[in-house]
Amino acid sequence: MASNEEGSIGTSLHGVTAREQVFSFSVDSSSQTLQSDDPTAKFTLPVDSEHRAKVFKPLSFAKPHMRAFHLGWISFFTCFISTFAAAPLVPIIRDNLDLTKTDVGNAGVASVSGAIFSRLAMGAVCDLLGARYGTAFSLMLTAPTVFSMSFVTGPVGYLAVRFMIGFCLATFVSCQYWTSVMFNGKIIGLVNGCAGGWGDMGGGVTQLLMPMVFQVIRLAGATPFMAWRIAFFIPGFLQVVVGVLVLTLGQDLPDGNLSTLQKSGQVSKDKFSKVFWFAVKNYRTWILFVLYGFSMGIELTINNVISGYFFDRFNLKLQTAGIVAASFGMANFFARPFGGYASDLAARLFGMRGRLWILWIFQTVGALFCIWLGRASSLPIAILAMMLFSVGTQAACGALFGVAPFVSRRSLGLISGLTGAGGNFGSGLTQLLFFSTSRFSTADGLSLMGAMAVLCTVPVAFIHFPQWGSMFLRPSSDGERSKEEYYYSSEWTEEEKRQGLHEGSIKFAENSRSERSRKVALADFPTPETRTPTHV
Amino acid sequence: MAVQTFLFASLIFFSSSIESNHGATEVSLFTNLENSLEVTAKPTRVGVVVLEAGKDMVRITWMLKSSAKVNDDASFKTVEVKLCYAPISQVDRPWRKTHNELSRDRSCPHKIVSKPYDKIPQSLNWTIDRETPTGTYFVRVYGIGVNGQEVAYGQSSDAEKTTNLFSVEGISGRHTSLDIASICFSVFSFGTLLVFLVKEKRKANLQQRK
Repeated sequence: MASNEEGSIGTSLHGVTAREQVFSFSVDSSSQTLQSDDPTAKFTLPVDSEHRAKVFKPLSFAKPHMRAFHLGWISFFTCFISTFAAAPLVPIIRDNLDLTKTDVGNAGVASVSGAIFSRLAMGAVCDLLGARYGTAFSLMLTAPTVFSMSFVTGPVGYLAVRFMIGFCLATFVSCQYWTSVMFNGKIIGLVNGCAGGWGDMGGGVTQLLMPMVFQVIRLAGATPFMAWRIAFFIPGFLQVVVGVLVLTLGQDLPDGNLSTLQKSGQVSKDKFSKVFWFAVKNYRTWILFVLYGFSMGIELTINNVISGYFFDRFNLKLQTAGIVAASFGMANFFARPFGGYASDLAARLFGMRGRLWILWIFQTVGALFCIWLGRASSLPIAILAMMLFSVGTQAACGALFGVAPFVSRRSLGLISGLTGAGGNFGSGLTQLLFFSTSRFSTADGLSLMGAMAVLCTVPVAFIHFPQWGSMFLRPSSDGERSKEEYYYSSEWTEEEKRQGLHEGSIKFAENSRSERSRKVALADFPTPETRTPTHV
Repeated sequence: MAVQTFLFASLIFFSSSIESNHGATEVSLFTNLENSLEVTAKPTRVGVVVLEAGKDMVRITWMLKSSAKVNDDASFKTVEVKLCYAPISQVDRPWRKTHNELSRDRSCPHKIVSKPYDKIPQSLNWTIDRETPTGTYFVRVYGIGVNGQEVAYGQSSDAEKTTNLFSVEGISGRHTSLDIASICFSVFSFGTLLVFLVKEKRKANLQQRK
């Protein structure tokens, strides 16, 4: 019964980045309800015992759940617009600032590097100040950096400003954290997939928006070298507006804001050093780090280079190149949620092994189309290759977060943060290797990047869960190691187990039995020893 | 659904192969052009190292070379004067690459003027366009034949493009009004955040006291 409301971990993306009840040591759900002075006890949507919504209604703006969802993904979307706003305008900027290909490439690397650190820090900020302030900080503290493009005169300033703007990508973490505290575990997979995918769309929309804004400003009489600077005021202004909306309309938790609620007992924090150690010690974390670096990573890289590629290679006008480039990012609208859904479907049929295969298939197919994109010398073929590439890679992103929540229960938040950082790391690396020097043409760079992605997706075959198996190996036949409980409780020391601190992990282990394939699950139906009998 | 996808894919495939068959006209190559024009390009302001875009002027002259045969210029009716990048401005900038195939050549993107050709020497005092980027340049003049294709050329620099170059400094694109607006918006952003933080802290303190 309790597993019904607590968040069936059979769904993908459960509690991505959320510092949620994992670290609370009271297992009884009723004690986790917070005392509230806020008159927000009435909810439009059906809620569970923690007041998290059980239903996802994308067209509603009901307070507080759907509002949090919309504010969250719109914040993330706005930040993507700002981070990649320079990309479609590079043909103008490179003439104004006298940039070389190396300068442009390095600035692209810088634009995704800042977020490696800010994403890791955001988890802590959300814990301390709540998701609202985490999001608002990210938006409103980086808005000045967007405005400061008007001061830039050369490659150094350009790189510095793009680096600072990139910090705002930390909203990925605050957005997923916010939805995780607002939505029940059963639907959190879909909710997070939508929030992630719709936010990522910003990288596509900016390729359309910035050239259009630039054109309008030029028509109003500005020279090109001034018009692009003025154009940057639009994303900056958007950030401020959305930041204000988040602060005024948003709410940290279903019951109210963090500062007006009593933080009684609920936030009994786990030791960061332990959480960190178990995340780092688990080899699967690092495989996911690399994998995400070559799915989300190459997606971020493409956001930076694709518009310029179509402008230079196929002689398109700035706006046309922007439209083509935008279709890459826009595919996120359905591709990423689709990837998460496909992962869930595969899990229902084949368990965790199905999830791993789906991840490998999507990511490899996407990378193969990336190779084709670099080889394509005619515009229609290039566009086709790009679209297929985008669907494959973005679905892989969604599918990866179908696997990530099962790697660890204790260090779930940190692993999600590390994986996210891996995406930025992969993007920085690929831009540095293939798009920052004149050694390769951009076309060759694309193909080489695709080839590297195919290679770096192979490690997914090495992710092995003793209780569920891996791509090529069956689950362990050893009686003890083949239990989910063994895997998740091995993250706690004997001392901690004696104190009963690992109870949350045990509950999670029970719920994660859904990751066994259908055949095995049916065969194993007789209740294992550790499960509390429900019908007594 | 699958059938539709297949049809769409084949449509794209066929349209692309049709496109490539359209190259029936002959491709114009730079190496095929006659160097029959004599071109000079000199900044009007003497002793200046770097010219300013939108302000300084360059005096450009072009005429048929004395060494050319008598009827060499019979084939071209118009001349196109273009501003071209010197090799130093092309380093590590593949979007300015020189290509033998003239339709793919990116090294002379800025058109100065297009004039009908008289058989007499012509000249022009050209104010450097305000949108000209920072770089080192020389001037090239193409003789365009009746069919719109280049038939002859001349340039103010030598074949290796090392002599008689001039440097241009583009406009910065910055403006005080932009700087001020940028500072104002930034202060607004910081300020709003601070106001909210303070307000909520006060509200929380009041609640605690109650």
